[in-house]
Amino acid sequence: MAAATAAHISERQNVAFKRILNFNVPHVKNSTGEPVWKVLIYDRFGQDIISPLLSVKELRDMGITLHLLLHSDRDPIPDVPAVYFVMPTEENIDRMCQDLRNQLYESYYLNFISAISRSKLEDIANAALAASAVTQVAKVFDQYLNFITLEDDMFVLCNQNKELVSYRAINRPDITDTEMETVMDTIVDSLFCFFVTLGAVPIIRCSRGTAAEMVAVKLDKKLRENLRDARNSLFTGDTLGAGQFSFQRPLLVLVDRNIDLATPLHHTWTYQALVHDVLDFHLNRVNLEESSGVENSPAGARPKRKNKKSYDLTPVDKFWQKHKGSPFPEVAESVQQELESYRAQEDEVKRLKSIMGLEGEDEGAISMLSDNTAKLTSAVSSLPELLEKKRLIDLHTNVATAVLEHIKARKLDVYFEYEEKIMSKTTLDKSLLDIISDPDAGTPEDKMRLFLIYYISAQQAPSEADLEQYKKALTDAGCNLNPLQYIKQWKAFAKMASAPASYGNTTTKPMGLLSRVMNTGSQFVMEGVKNLVLKQQNLPVTRILDNLMEMKSNPETDDYRYFDPKMLRGNDSSVPRNKNPFQEAIVFVVGGGNYIEYQNLVDYIKGKQGKHILYGCSELFNATQFIKQLSQLGQK
Amino acid sequence: MAVDITLLFRASVKTVKTRNKALGVAVGGGVDGSRDELFRRSPRPKGDFSSRAREVISHIGKLRDFLLEHRKDYINAYSHVMSEYGRMTDTERDQIDQDAQTFMRTCSEAIQQLRTQAHKEIHSQQVKEHRSVVLDFIEDYLKRVCKLYSEQRAIRVKRVVDKKRLSKLEPEPNTKTRESMSSEKGSQHPSQESEEKPATEEYPEKVPAESQPELGTWGEGKGDDELSPEEIQMFEQENQRLIGEMNSLFDEVRQIEGRVVEISRLQEIFTEKVLQQEAEIDSIHQLVVGATENIKEGNEDIRELPCLR
Repeated sequence: MAAATAAHISERQNVAFKRILNFNVPHVKNSTGEPVWKVLIYDRFGQDIISPLLSVKELRDMGITLHLLLHSDRDPIPDVPAVYFVMPTEENIDRMCQDLRNQLYESYYLNFISAISRSKLEDIANAALAASAVTQVAKVFDQYLNFITLEDDMFVLCNQNKELVSYRAINRPDITDTEMETVMDTIVDSLFCFFVTLGAVPIIRCSRGTAAEMVAVKLDKKLRENLRDARNSLFTGDTLGAGQFSFQRPLLVLVDRNIDLATPLHHTWTYQALVHDVLDFHLNRVNLEESSGVENSPAGARPKRKNKKSYDLTPVDKFWQKHKGSPFPEVAESVQQELESYRAQEDEVKRLKSIMGLEGEDEGAISMLSDNTAKLTSAVSSLPELLEKKRLIDLHTNVATAVLEHIKARKLDVYFEYEEKIMSKTTLDKSLLDIISDPDAGTPEDKMRLFLIYYISAQQAPSEADLEQYKKALTDAGCNLNPLQYIKQWKAFAKMASAPASYGNTTTKPMGLLSRVMNTGSQFVMEGVKNLVLKQQNLPVTRILDNLMEMKSNPETDDYRYFDPKMLRGNDSSVPRNKNPFQEAIVFVVGGGNYIEYQNLVDYIKGKQGKHILYGCSELFNATQFIKQLSQLGQK
Repeated sequence: MAVDITLLFRASVKTVKTRNKALGVAVGGGVDGSRDELFRRSPRPKGDFSSRAREVISHIGKLRDFLLEHRKDYINAYSHVMSEYGRMTDTERDQIDQDAQTFMRTCSEAIQQLRTQAHKEIHSQQVKEHRSVVLDFIEDYLKRVCKLYSEQRAIRVKRVVDKKRLSKLEPEPNTKTRESMSSEKGSQHPSQESEEKPATEEYPEKVPAESQPELGTWGEGKGDDELSPEEIQMFEQENQRLIGEMNSLFDEVRQIEGRVVEISRLQEIFTEKVLQQEAEIDSIHQLVVGATENIKEGNEDIRELPCLR
């Protein structure tokens, strides 16, 4: 029962959205219902929220004939209700008023992603009056859906304006108070929407003296105000849904990115994190550039064109769900296995085809036919399934091949192993300088990442001479040294604040240079790539969560602040009133998160029965994007 | 959870109205905004397309209601023992079938018409796309309603077949039952096809005609009243033999029935696929024709070349 609340955040958003599409009435499937058609208008925020949730086909099933961007040229379509799903910004409101004046549609169902202010509502009222369209505005709703769910248990705040709430925006030295306020307000608004959708009021813990604390204070205030307002409270009985059956409230842990800068730079070895790291992957869509194979182009040929392909990695994709957290060699093997089982099924169908050819020849064949008819029926009806399976296998083969190419070209396995060793403080077999100076291993960016991790995890900063040596090697390799500037500053500051994060003990066991995969003649020739196995380790964020969730005493988390919006009087104490371990928790990283942390949390909670974790962050970046931000910060 | 602020919106409208009145700002070219709205809305051209589309939908809705209304009576197997009230004769059922099929045909024709017409008048890409999707929805609706019809039809035919089979008594099981089985197969197959094939009306009439003469010959053979003990024994043995044969035939027929059902399902699937491929084949055909012409012209051009020298 406790499971019902925290899990399936994507389902809740999904249900809420289907309700929007059904003219704000709960959606009931009816096989002989009359078709009702409508047009969906969204802005870029709405688009980002919708695209991981529903496919175009699902939109069609809900009766959407056209889905259009708000700020595009739209022709009047008579006799059609229009459902709007937009943020209540100045520009959007203006455009909506324009639509009303131009009489584009029959009726208007306005759904605002986050709450609209009274004055803007009056602007719309004004335009509606001027266009004599007041009765056409059928419904207006505040949806409180201002966050993007990527997975059942993962969400990000936004994609469109992530510059506004990026790590850089929060941590730059020249930020003004007002700008900071705006950033914090944006984050808090989304988090508030998140809890409204979840239907639960959390208990908030956060570290002191960080941006996370600012967010916590504001969020607590906002929740408190809403709870006190009895008339408009969003957390009353009937909106809680399943949440009201669980006696426990979830725990919200707000952490700041600054407690752990090494993880976003880390080279990774699990499938989903790898895809995010080396390929162009966001909002569950990966874009690949395939060079089209050997083409027999005629004389005077056109140049070889690169095909761009994009794939959606969705919850329906069973292979993805199963393997997105697996180490890469396992993924390669599994793809191979799936391919083989698919080929076996295909052969079965082909065999039946040839048996059918015997029909009418002799008695014996005809009696053999009797179960073959049944087999044929089942084969034919399972054809769509087979085709779908084939499509998924193709998809993953392409994606995994692309990832493998990167791994081989940049020797990412070496980096991964080395970084793991650095982070766990085991002895290093190769000197750092060697790897940096090695021209074959990795791009300059990879080397920078490695060096930064070393620098961050080092107990004492390297001596000046060593540092100069490293700097020279890095510059020779083509790296930009700006990120290092920033990290130096950060380290100095972090040392003052608290002890640097330790990454626990871990070992990676190399399972032989030539993996078994190569021996089975698979297309994933992983020769020269180490078959590394991850051993479970807890990243700093996971450790913090563990302490807070299990009410363990630990110097790291003991002075975290405690907020309970439901308590009558807020207090500043760090002593939690509730002594029982929590069943559900939401970890939110202010300043950006990534899939490595997410995977680590998923692995951590797998071992615990009946407990659930949701992971959220203000933005999702991979190492490349993070380095860019660090570099910009280091420039100032 | 979403918050309905429609009332808040209406309140804002009122606020704005009063404020505008106070400021003396004209509201949409008339003091009484609502009256103006009414006037303005009537001359608004009501989309011809959408009104016709809605007509088609309401027709299909009527068909659906009609089918659902009579569905219980239609598939009622024990109508001959039920009271007057719930009974439905076969002729009534046939009538329903006929009507339903004509209706479905008219609806799909109407949809086709709408489709060709819709694209003629309009130049906007968005409106075109919108209309074709709307028509897809309507077609889908029609398909779903037709499924209702074909389901109950299939049940009916199956019942009739079962009834006929049980009521059959044959002196020579082998040849006669094979005949009747083939006619059964023939009837099962069209019954599961799409609504466009109303061929099975003939079937119910055929089988009674067949079984009648059989019963007749059987009945005549037993004119004699006195039976000697040997004859009784012989007849008993024959009875046993016949029962055994009937049972095995029964099993065989069951098997064949199963196979036939599967075959008919397969054929349904194949029909669907073939229909899908039809469109593709058409386009391939067009392409090929175009390509052939291009090649012809190319060849002619090439042939002309030596003349130019």
